[in-house]
Amino acid sequence: MGALCEETVDVDQLLLVLVSGLASGAVYGLMGLGLVIIYRATDVVNFALASLSVVGLYAALTLYDSGLPLLPAALAAIAVTVGVGLTVRETVIRPLAHGELLSALVMTMGISLIAESVISTVWDDQPRLFPSLVEGSVSLGGAAIPTQSLLTIAVAAVAMALVAYLFGRTTIGSAMRAVAESAHTAQILGIGSQRIARIAWALGLGLAALAAFLYAPRAGLVPTVLSAPLFRAFAGIFLGGLTSMYGAVIGGLTVGVLDNLAASYVSGGYRDTFVFSFTILVLLIRPQGLFGVRTFQRV
Amino acid sequence: MSSPVSVSVSALARSTATRAALGPLAALVLVLVMHSGAIPPYQAYSVGIAAVYTVLALSVGLLAGWGGIWSIAHPALFALGAYFAAYGSTHGWSVEAVVLGAVGCAAALGAFLGGAGARFSMLYVALLTLAFTMVSLEVMGQWTSVTGGDQGIPMEKLDSALGLGTLASAGTQAQYIAVGAAGIALAAAALARPSALRMRLVAAKSHPAAARSVGIAPEAQSALAFAVSAAFAALAGVLLALVVGFVSPDPFSLTLAISLIAACVLGGAGTLVGAVVGGAYLTWAPTAAESAGVPQPILQGVVLIGALLVLPGGVVPFLGRVLRRRSTAQDSAAAEPAEEVPEKVPEPAATAAEVLRLDEVGVTFGGLKALEGASMSVRAGETVAIIGPNGAGKTTLLNVLSGLVGGGRAAGSAVYGGRSLLKIRATARHRLGIGRTFQHAETFAELTVLENVLCTRRRNTARHRARAVELLEGVGLAHVADQLPDELSFGLHKRLDLARALAGEPELLVLDEPFGGLDARERTLLAHQIVRQQKRGTAVVIIDHVLDDLFAVAHRVVAFDFGRPIGEGEPGRILDDPRVRSSYLGEGGTRGELPHRDGTEHVAVRLEEVDHHYGGVTALRGIDLTVPQGSVLGIVGANGAGKSTLGRILHGSLSPTRGRRTAAAELRTALVPEGRALFKTLSLRENLEVAAYATGIKGAELRARLEQTAQWLPPRLRERMGVAAGGLSGGEQQILAVARALMAGPDLLIVDEPALGLSPAMVDEVYGRLGGLARDGMTVVLLEQSLARAAAAGHEVVVLHEGGVAVRGEASDPLFLARAEHAYFDGQDDASVAPAPM
Repeated sequence: MGALCEETVDVDQLLLVLVSGLASGAVYGLMGLGLVIIYRATDVVNFALASLSVVGLYAALTLYDSGLPLLPAALAAIAVTVGVGLTVRETVIRPLAHGELLSALVMTMGISLIAESVISTVWDDQPRLFPSLVEGSVSLGGAAIPTQSLLTIAVAAVAMALVAYLFGRTTIGSAMRAVAESAHTAQILGIGSQRIARIAWALGLGLAALAAFLYAPRAGLVPTVLSAPLFRAFAGIFLGGLTSMYGAVIGGLTVGVLDNLAASYVSGGYRDTFVFSFTILVLLIRPQGLFGVRTFQRV
Repeated sequence: MSSPVSVSVSALARSTATRAALGPLAALVLVLVMHSGAIPPYQAYSVGIAAVYTVLALSVGLLAGWGGIWSIAHPALFALGAYFAAYGSTHGWSVEAVVLGAVGCAAALGAFLGGAGARFSMLYVALLTLAFTMVSLEVMGQWTSVTGGDQGIPMEKLDSALGLGTLASAGTQAQYIAVGAAGIALAAAALARPSALRMRLVAAKSHPAAARSVGIAPEAQSALAFAVSAAFAALAGVLLALVVGFVSPDPFSLTLAISLIAACVLGGAGTLVGAVVGGAYLTWAPTAAESAGVPQPILQGVVLIGALLVLPGGVVPFLGRVLRRRSTAQDSAAAEPAEEVPEKVPEPAATAAEVLRLDEVGVTFGGLKALEGASMSVRAGETVAIIGPNGAGKTTLLNVLSGLVGGGRAAGSAVYGGRSLLKIRATARHRLGIGRTFQHAETFAELTVLENVLCTRRRNTARHRARAVELLEGVGLAHVADQLPDELSFGLHKRLDLARALAGEPELLVLDEPFGGLDARERTLLAHQIVRQQKRGTAVVIIDHVLDDLFAVAHRVVAFDFGRPIGEGEPGRILDDPRVRSSYLGEGGTRGELPHRDGTEHVAVRLEEVDHHYGGVTALRGIDLTVPQGSVLGIVGANGAGKSTLGRILHGSLSPTRGRRTAAAELRTALVPEGRALFKTLSLRENLEVAAYATGIKGAELRARLEQTAQWLPPRLRERMGVAAGGLSGGEQQILAVARALMAGPDLLIVDEPALGLSPAMVDEVYGRLGGLARDGMTVVLLEQSLARAAAAGHEVVVLHEGGVAVRGEASDPLFLARAEHAYFDGQDDASVAPAPM
C-alpha cells in the first residue's frame, strides 16, 4: 500500500517535471525560433536577442505599474523590443559588410552589454516581481500543475503555429524561405533583401519578447534574467540543426525537458552540465544536428 | 645570391631576434621601474594584473588571428590554472608540479576542443567552447571541497621542487614574476610568428582545401594551436592566483569571455602589440569607465561597436597599415622573367615510366554520377589535356587526383607510383609528389607571397627559404615576395598558385584551368613553365577551355562528356573526331518555325563598346550588339567566353565596367540563370509566387498571373504545383525556371545554358517551349555552348570568343555556320580572308 502510494507520488512528480520542462522548453523554443529566423534571413547570430527583450519587459512593467492592463503592456513589450531592435540593426549591423558572421556576432554582444547596462541604470538591478496573466494551479491526477506553465505552453504553441502559417502559406513567408535558401538567387530575381531582413528581425525579436513575457513571472525580473534561457536556446538550435525552424522548436523543447529532469533527478547544480554535455555528444555523432542538412565544401 | 629577396630574408631573421628580445627587455625595464618604487603599490598591483591579462589576451588573440578560432572557453582554462595553483599551494605541491600540471591539463583539453571544433563551422566552435565554460562555471560553484564554492580558496606560497626558492603570493615578487612571464610569452609569440607552424595554421584557416593540397591537415593544426593557446591561458591563471593571492569564481564569468573577445578585436587579433593593448584595456577599462562617469559595460560595448565599425582589423593593424603605406610608397620595380622565344614541347622519353593509371574510376554524389568509367594513363614527362564541355566531369576527375572529392564516393582503381591512390588522404598526397593548382588561384590571403610557398614545408630552414626564393624567381614573383596576394594582379596570383604547387617538386602536376583569365603574354609565360616541368620529367594533367594554348603544350588529349571519356588523340587531331566536336557544338535537331522578320524590327536592347572586368580579369571587351524585338538571338561560345556576363548585362542586373546599354522604353527583361537557380526547398507554386513578389505583383493580379503561367506549364508539372522543386527532374526544373521568369511578364527573356545537364529528349522539349514563346512574340536571347542548337533555335547567331564578338550572322545560312564553327574554336573569322557571299 505504502509502496503503491509512493509510486503515484513519483508519477505525479514526473508529470509535474515534464510539464514544467515543456513550459521551459516552449520559452527556449520561441527564443530559438527567433534566433533561427534572424540567422537564416540575415546571417546574423543575434546575441542581443535576450537583452533587447528584457528592455521590452522593463518598459512593459513601468506601463503596468502606471495603470495599463497587463495584456496591452505585453503588446507594448513586444513593440518596444522590435522598435529598439530594428533601430539597432539599421544603425550598427547594416553598415557591416555582408557575410561578416563574426563581426556581426561580436557586434550583438556589444549591444547586449550596453542594453543590460542601460536597464540597470534606468531602472535598477534589484530583482522585481513580474505579474502573470494567470495565477494558481490546475490539479491533474495528484499533481498541482501551475496554470502559468500551461498558459506558456499554449501561447507558445499558438505563436509557433502562426509562424508555421506565415512561412508555409503566405507569399512573404515563401520569399523569406527563398532568401534563406539562396540569398544570391533571391538577388538575381530582385527580392529586396533589406525588406526581408527587417521583417525577419521584427519577427524574431517579437517572438523573443513573447518568450520573455511568458518566462518572467516564474523567474522574476533582473537585467540578466534571459541569459540562461538564451544559452539554452542556443543549445536547442544547435541540437535542431541551426537553420531549421522545426529543429529550433524541437531542440528547445528537448533542452527544456532535459534541463528540468536533470534539476529534479540528478542535481540542481549541474543542470547546464547535463544539457550541454548531451548537446555536444549529439553533435559529435551527428554534426549537422537533428534536422540540419549536411553541407559539403566545394573547391 | 644577392637578390632583394634574400636580403630581405636575412633582414627578417635579424628583426625576428630583435623583436623577440623586445618583450623580455620591456618586462625587465618595467620590473626595475616597479622595484625603484616609482609606481605606487596599488598601481603596481594593476601592472601585475595587466601582465596576467596580456598573457591571456595573447592566448585568445593569436588563436583567433592565426587559427581563425574564436574561443569562449578561455575563461574556463584561465580558471583551471588559477584553481590548480591555489589548490596545489594548500596541498604542498611544488611550483613545477603546479605549472606543468595546469599547463598539461589545459593543453589536453585544448587539443580536444580544437580537434573536435575543426571539423565544423565557426559557430559550432563557439557553442562547443561556450558549453565548456558553462559546465566549468557550474563545476566551480558546486565542487566546494576543491574550489571552495562562491567563497573561493586562498593561494599560499609555492616551493620549488628543484630548490630554486619559494614563490610568495600576493606581493611584489608575484607581480615581478607576472611581468616577467608576460615578457617571455611575448618573446615566444614573436619567435613563433615567422615559423612554419604559424604559416601552416594561417594557411589552414584561410583555405582548408588548398591547405590540404599542400599537405596541411586543418584538424591537426587547429588541435595543436588550441592546445598551445590553452596552455598559455592556464599559465595566466596560475599567475593570476599568485598576484591576487585568492581564487574565487568571480573573474571567470562569461562576461570575461566577451571582454576578451572585445579586447582582441580592439587590439587586433593576431598581433602581439595588440595583445598588450588588449591586456591593458581589460585591466584599466573599469577605472577608465569610472573616471568617465559611465557604467563599464556601456564603455566596453561602445568601444567594441566603434572598433568594429571604424577599425575592423583592430587598432594595432590599423596603425601598422598607416605606417606601411608611408614606407612602401615606392613600388619595387617588376623584375619580369625575360621574354623567351617559344620553346618546342619536348617529347617524353620512350622509356618513361608510367606515373599514373586510372581504371574505370567513377565518382557519385548521393545518387548523381559526376564521373564514370574514366580510364587513362600518364607517363613521366608527358602532358595530358582533359577537355569537354561544362559539366563533363573534368573538375571531378582533378579532384579525384588531389583527393578533394568532398562528400563524393570514388570507386574504381587509380594507381600512382605503384600505390592505390584512392585510399590515400588528400593531405598525404603532397608528400607523395602530387601538386595541384586551382581554377581561381586559391592562394592564402593572409600570408605573403614567400610565405605561401614556405608553408608547404613543415620546418622553415635556411635551405627551404633559399629554395622558395629560387622558385619565386623562376616564375617571376621575386619582386613581390613580401606582398600579400590581394595586392597582386590576377596573372601574378595564378603564378603564385603554380609556384606553391611546384614547391613540393611534384612528379604529377595537376592544373585546373591554368590559362583561364590570363592575357596572351601571361599565357606564353605559363606555357614556358609547363615546358620546363616537362623537361624535368614531371607528368602533367591539365584541364582548360582555352584550347589553342592547351593543345600547344599537350602531348595527348582526352575528351570527356556526361562524366565519361568519349575520345582520345593528338592535340591536332582530337577535334576531327565527330563525337568530340559535337560534344562542344551539339547536335542540331530540326529547325523550328520562327516568326518572320523583315528587318524593320525595333531594337529591344543595344550595347555599345561594352567592356567588363572582374577584379583584374577581363570577361568582355568591345561588345557592340543589338537585340531586335521579336527575334531569337543565340549567343554561342565555349565555357569562359563571357556568355553569362553578357547575359546579365543585357538583362540590366549588371552594369558594365565601360560602355553603354540602352533599352527600349518600358522594356521588361527576365533572366533564367545558368544552372536554373530554383529554390529547391520551395514548391513549384511558391517558386512562381516569389518571382511575382520580387516584381511587386500582389493579390488578385498575382493569382491571375499564376493561373496564366500554370497554363503554360506542361500538365505533368501543373498537377504537381505543391511539390518541392528539388524533386523535379533536370528538364522539368528548367521549364519551371523559364516559367518563373515569365511571372515577371517580360518582353525580353534571356536564358543561360538551358540545355545544361539535360538529356537530348528534354533539351528538345525545353527548346520547343522556348520556340513557342518566340512565336507568341517574345524576344529571346539564348546563351548556349552548342552552336548547332543555337543555330537550330534562333534567327541569328553571335559567336563569342574570349570576351569578344568573333562573328555574327543569319542562323539559316550554312556558309555562315561554317565560319561560326571555325570562330568558335579559334576566334578567327574566315570571312576576313575570303569574303563570304552576303
